[in-house]
Amino acid sequence: MTDTQRAERLLEFSGEMGKRLIKNGAEMYRVEESLQLILTAFGVHNVKVFAIPSIIMISFKLNDHLYAGQFRLKGNGINLERLEQLNALSRRICAGELTLEQAEGELAAILSRKRYPAAVSYVAFGIVAFLFTLFWGGTLPDAAIAFPCGLITKYTVTLAKRFQTNLFFSNVLSGCFSAVIPVLLGRFFPAVHTDMIIIGTIMLLVPGIAIANVMRDVLAGDTLTALTRLTEVLIVGVGVAVGIAIPLALSHTVL
Amino acid sequence: MKMLLPCLYAFLGCATFSVIFEEKRLRIILSCSATGFVAWLTYLLFGFLGASIRMQTVRYFLAAVVVALLSEMFARIHKSPATLFLTIGIIPLVPGAGIYYTMEALLNGSLSLFARRGLETAACAGAIAVGCSLVSSVFRMCSAARKSSALREE
Repeated sequence: MTDTQRAERLLEFSGEMGKRLIKNGAEMYRVEESLQLILTAFGVHNVKVFAIPSIIMISFKLNDHLYAGQFRLKGNGINLERLEQLNALSRRICAGELTLEQAEGELAAILSRKRYPAAVSYVAFGIVAFLFTLFWGGTLPDAAIAFPCGLITKYTVTLAKRFQTNLFFSNVLSGCFSAVIPVLLGRFFPAVHTDMIIIGTIMLLVPGIAIANVMRDVLAGDTLTALTRLTEVLIVGVGVAVGIAIPLALSHTVL
Repeated sequence: MKMLLPCLYAFLGCATFSVIFEEKRLRIILSCSATGFVAWLTYLLFGFLGASIRMQTVRYFLAAVVVALLSEMFARIHKSPATLFLTIGIIPLVPGAGIYYTMEALLNGSLSLFARRGLETAACAGAIAVGCSLVSSVFRMCSAARKSSALREE
């Protein structure tokens, strides 16, 4: 393998690794640190890594030649199992246990691991809506109504992903459709707690970890990342609010 | 019992959330859910502070600190990144109700209530963020200090 080939493969590998780490919810300083250590472990010098939620830039020196690459990121879907395995892989690489070929193989194996079947995911969305309705003080019938709302949320989220809509619109859609049933039922049956059901259901959409990460990024010195995440939190929060406002406002005026 | 029931819902809800986030190992799922359980328990236990907005913020802050501490602990036990446990454990604290009531106030045309609810929601979110980040930066400082002292010994 010539130097150029090796450098290209290193760039590809570390870029993919960084992309996956960020997508699955790793902290930004961790990503930069890991990539730096990984590349150093593979024997290149002057490693510079810069990562924000939308791009990773990597450059390093191999035998006095400078190589650089950029990797664009879009969207995310947190997968905790994958995050954990990527972390373990990067730790093993840094310990010098793996060659580049082996590491590439391991990464491919991690990425091809089976996910839960869609049905499990749907049911999980329903159960979360069910449980969090109870959690916020809803009655058992309220929770039973929340279950299908959770399913609807999952469906709209999947749909929005398939059509690659933007973050705002996808949350407006999910909020809107998940709130239709409780609003209608609440209008005709006063015993139904519309608010508890909606709150329980939107727990599926509100950005918990993003809120926690904003300040963590600020304190870690990644202010640019923090700004991006803060914007994300606001977009999602406002999107969900606008979404559930649509059926509520309609029911106030029409019914 | 009245206090434990919502915590139990939080526990089960967090367990289901870890399935949504594709976690498959039971011990991790249990630890994640335990973090969520303790998060809400802490919030409720500090209920004696009262429900004024100032005290609410303090309660959310304390709960977030506990969640972050617990995540760091579980991270060391399971040798996994703390983010795993934090991602799930923080969920019961997320101000979903705040977003809803803020929006409702606006729909009802009550601007003062809207501003109030909105600020409350933002304050709670801020308290959670500060609580988590404080703990994780302290842990980060400690590990950095340990690394540099190990280098010096070499």
